[in-house]
Amino acid sequence: MFDQQERDGEDVVERVIHELRRPVYIDRAVDARVMNEIAQPAPAEPVARRSVARVLPWLAAAAVLGAVLIGRPWSPGGNGADAFQFVLVAPQAASVSLVGDFNDWDPSRAPMHAARGGVWATVVSLPPGRYRYAFLVNGVEWRADPSAPLARDDEFGSPSSVVTIGGRDS
Amino acid sequence: MGIERVEEGDAELVLRIRGGDVGAYSMLVARYRDRLGRYAVRMIGNREDAEEALQDAFVRAYRSLARCDNPARFGAWLYGILVNRCRTTGARTARRRRWIVHDEGALNGASHPDHGERVEWADIVGRALAKLTPECREAFLLKHVEDLEYEEIAELTGAGISALKMRVKRAREHLQRILKEAEHV
Repeated sequence: MFDQQERDGEDVVERVIHELRRPVYIDRAVDARVMNEIAQPAPAEPVARRSVARVLPWLAAAAVLGAVLIGRPWSPGGNGADAFQFVLVAPQAASVSLVGDFNDWDPSRAPMHAARGGVWATVVSLPPGRYRYAFLVNGVEWRADPSAPLARDDEFGSPSSVVTIGGRDS
Repeated sequence: MGIERVEEGDAELVLRIRGGDVGAYSMLVARYRDRLGRYAVRMIGNREDAEEALQDAFVRAYRSLARCDNPARFGAWLYGILVNRCRTTGARTARRRRWIVHDEGALNGASHPDHGERVEWADIVGRALAKLTPECREAFLLKHVEDLEYEEIAELTGAGISALKMRVKRAREHLQRILKEAEHV
């Protein structure tokens, strides 16, 4: 009886998989839009990075707080962007990356650098806006920033934080 | 004997593009459009946002092509970019999600007597999939629909293999439960 129920359940899942493997129509215009877009000049890359050595006083403070986003921009970048430092204290980590919707959640784009006391830091340029971000520890563990509000709209299920950066005059 | 069309591999095309042959990228787009598009539609739940995510992934991949360490594995690398785009898009569009009911297969079968049942089943499946957590949906689709190995999925998602196996298991259990409930409605 139980085995039969289990088999029925598995059959249902196999039917679902079969359905999901059906081709989905994708508009061929996507090809043209891609080719048209790559023919345009790429938007400017973020600028204004500074060396970690300059931020050690901030890192000492960050070590106390756990993790912190320094809200004061260091220097203006292009397109109204300012440089912001993200810091995480993770003494046991072998690697940490900053991932967020500003870098497509791509760990390779903002690897963090280890400083003293298990403090990891990186600097990114961000124009004014609202961003979700998280730290990827050892390539597998997602951590929200304990010093920032949790993102409420994180449908994906992984913990993430949110930061809002105002304009220069705000 | 005769003339055979020899398809260039991903690595050759990537090298041509890096060498300045921008047009060669259209071959990679055509090669991966449908498969990656299916993943995006299943993951995000509506075609419009899925096509936008797909387009964005292709453009980002092109602009980051210098970072593709292994051109022969361009497809896997591109998959990783799309998975990230779908995560971002999925979170952004969660509140206005509408699930695809009709796909090309269903439309092509419009004159078939079973057409109504197929469309209904596709709708049920889409809604059941939407009830999974995004993590479970992602793992389930990559494992069972895209047929990737756990090692490949781990590489794409940054998640550990044991966590992925658990997500797939949960997805299967949830789908069984949801569809059983649907049968009794």
